[in-house]
Amino acid sequence: MTSIGTGYDLANSIYSPDGRNFQVEYAVKAVENGGTSIGIRCKDGVVLAVEKVIASKLLKPNANKRIATVDRHLGIVYSGMIPDGRHLVDRARDEARNHRDTFKSPIPTRDLANRMGGYMQAYTLYQSVRPFGVTAILGGFDSDLEQPVDGEVGSGPSCGGGGKVEGQKHGGPWLAMIEPSGTYWGYYGAATGKGRQAAKAELEKLNLAAGEITIKEAVKEAARIIYIAHDDNKDKDFELEMSWISGSDGPTKGKHVEVPSDLLAEAEGLARKAIEKDLEGDDEEEKDKMEE
Amino acid sequence: MEFGKSGFLNEDGIHVDMDRLKNGEVNLGTSIMAITFKDGVILGADSRTTTGAYIANRVTDKLTRVHDTIWCCRSGSAADTQAVADIVQYQLGLFSMQSGKPPTTQTAASIFQEICYANKDRLSAGLIIAGWDERHGGQVYSIPLGGSLHKQPYAIGGSGSTYIYGFCDANWREGMEEADAVGFVKEALKEAIKWDGSSGGVIRMVVLTAKGADRHLYLPDTDYTVRHN
Amino acid sequence: MPGFDFSNYNRNAALCARGMSLPKATSTGTTIVGCIFDGGVVIAADTRATSGPIVADKNCEKLHYISPNIWCAGAGTAADTEFTTALISSQLELHSLSTGRKPRVVTCMTMLKQHLFRYQGHIGAYLVVAGVDPTGTHLFTVHAHGSTDKLPYVTMGSGSLAAMSVFESSWKSNLTQEEAIDLCSKAILAGIFNDLGSGSNVDVAIITPEKTTLKRNHITPNQRVPKLGNYVFRRGTTAVLNEKVIRKEELGNFVSIHEMTEEADKMEVDT
Repeated sequence: MTSIGTGYDLANSIYSPDGRNFQVEYAVKAVENGGTSIGIRCKDGVVLAVEKVIASKLLKPNANKRIATVDRHLGIVYSGMIPDGRHLVDRARDEARNHRDTFKSPIPTRDLANRMGGYMQAYTLYQSVRPFGVTAILGGFDSDLEQPVDGEVGSGPSCGGGGKVEGQKHGGPWLAMIEPSGTYWGYYGAATGKGRQAAKAELEKLNLAAGEITIKEAVKEAARIIYIAHDDNKDKDFELEMSWISGSDGPTKGKHVEVPSDLLAEAEGLARKAIEKDLEGDDEEEKDKMEE
Repeated sequence: MEFGKSGFLNEDGIHVDMDRLKNGEVNLGTSIMAITFKDGVILGADSRTTTGAYIANRVTDKLTRVHDTIWCCRSGSAADTQAVADIVQYQLGLFSMQSGKPPTTQTAASIFQEICYANKDRLSAGLIIAGWDERHGGQVYSIPLGGSLHKQPYAIGGSGSTYIYGFCDANWREGMEEADAVGFVKEALKEAIKWDGSSGGVIRMVVLTAKGADRHLYLPDTDYTVRHN
Repeated sequence: MPGFDFSNYNRNAALCARGMSLPKATSTGTTIVGCIFDGGVVIAADTRATSGPIVADKNCEKLHYISPNIWCAGAGTAADTEFTTALISSQLELHSLSTGRKPRVVTCMTMLKQHLFRYQGHIGAYLVVAGVDPTGTHLFTVHAHGSTDKLPYVTMGSGSLAAMSVFESSWKSNLTQEEAIDLCSKAILAGIFNDLGSGSNVDVAIITPEKTTLKRNHITPNQRVPKLGNYVFRRGTTAVLNEKVIRKEELGNFVSIHEMTEEADKMEVDT
């Protein structure tokens, strides 16, 4: 960056003459150094995974969680400055609660992404604050069932509901990634953090848009992708954390939960095997780190 | 500070006037109902508004739109129910703009309930919310005085409803055709108007289906047989 | 004892329960009406203001200006109708300035009902709101508790029953302007002659897309006629029973007179 020392990078509220906000770009740098996070949207759910680099051997395994539940059907994982991410999660929980309070229904994942995008964007506007040093991946499954309203007396009549439009699909999986600028997009596969380039390359190979992959397969793919993405950072140990959300008829029954330990172990085993196979093959392509 | 004349006040100063309506308030002594049928829901109401013994409006519209295919029947204080309906209409408008899709009937009903429950000691509002949406079809919710929320296949309300509990129980059927459902509502309201002194005037209906909202009007001049507009 | 003292509340509540009601604000017994015709709307009012059994003003104005194309007839507590309409008129003017559009009758009605609802009926303003705006001709009633009605013809106030009887017997659809003015005037006259709270003259306002015409004292059915009697007494009305003249010289017969000496009159001065 050629702008250092020009003064245009000193505060949020200053644009450079060519229309850039350097504070936001520096925040992106903070994200690029964080552990890799990915999200996969498949036909029957969403999988979130994160690579947690072990900073100290004294850290207790499985104790330090990075994937947060925002509402029953919503999870967030993020790369970058962890305290910033925690604050973001708090805000997301407030927004989800607020939606339930006013509209008495769970917040659709897309609406939450919109609210969080707006919140993060506000931190790019003022002298007194800095942008969030995180990129967050938001995964959710909006209920495909008819749900009663919070506070309704009894379960209602067994009949009624005439005039329903048949054959329409409601709800479903949704994945979004929000950047420090407040930009957010809906994705089939999202990756951020240090190993994002490798992860994106792997995600693209999965052909997620076709909607063929199941959530159980996606868990294994996610583990493998995190292992591949970690490859550039081999010298450091890491821990894999994964969560998933399926529809009401799937393994998590519409809830955002951690991937069960046996499935996680199986996925990690497969991932390690895949890496070894890869290494046997060829490791000639030295990936040069490019900047976006 | 105003106190009701009929109110008994104990020396503890706790027991005060229990008359729900404030002095001189406009009252919807009413017969209202909403039913589900094959293609959606039908709301129906009489048109009498009273202040004491005087009929302040004999052609009142007690069926109020809160969204394109979500409507409510109002009973109790005219001022209170209009104010609540206005707030909900605003909230649903906001919801549909923010989320880019129409609100569901239960969203509407729950917003109504929130207001009615939070202000239960200040409001005299008995509401029936009925709506149609793609996902859930026709739905009917009832919110009586305390602010509870009940999902029902059909709901009746207002002072005139006491006279037609038996009629509705005997004659309502699940999945009626539109013509039969309109006939059922009309007959029920005719009975309610006949027996209840606080109900009267015309019969208004709104039919909510995939095709949108369709208004009906029946006049006493023709014994409610001819549909106008 | 620190804090608020609520003992008077209990005393007042107890007194009320025993039938001694609190003093009430003066309210205007009134007849006000409104009626839509082909091409506009007419509102009318009587001109009597009362305070208890006293006629406080024989020719007051009950038609209030909101905006050039929206007018209000007010019944209920005189001060409340006056200040509520003035407040909304002001807010509507500012709203109109900021939107760059002509004020609408529904906007006025909504602002009134929200204001009155907030005060839960303690602002005793009962209003007939009428006007013509780009969306058409409108006529509403607004009750003090915040409820509103939309009708082709409306009456309010203590004389509303008398006035409504005129509308219910004579109203027809597609009235002309003259017929509407006539009908509204008749309705007010019914209030003036049959309701104790209403009286004096008929004020009328006619609002059309082109202009608003305010006919102050359109009908004056209670003109004061010259007094039949006269309280000035003619000279000689009082009878003279007897007469006696006392001259100055004879004054000594009635009072004692002392002559003043020259010495006594002089002032002594120290030398």
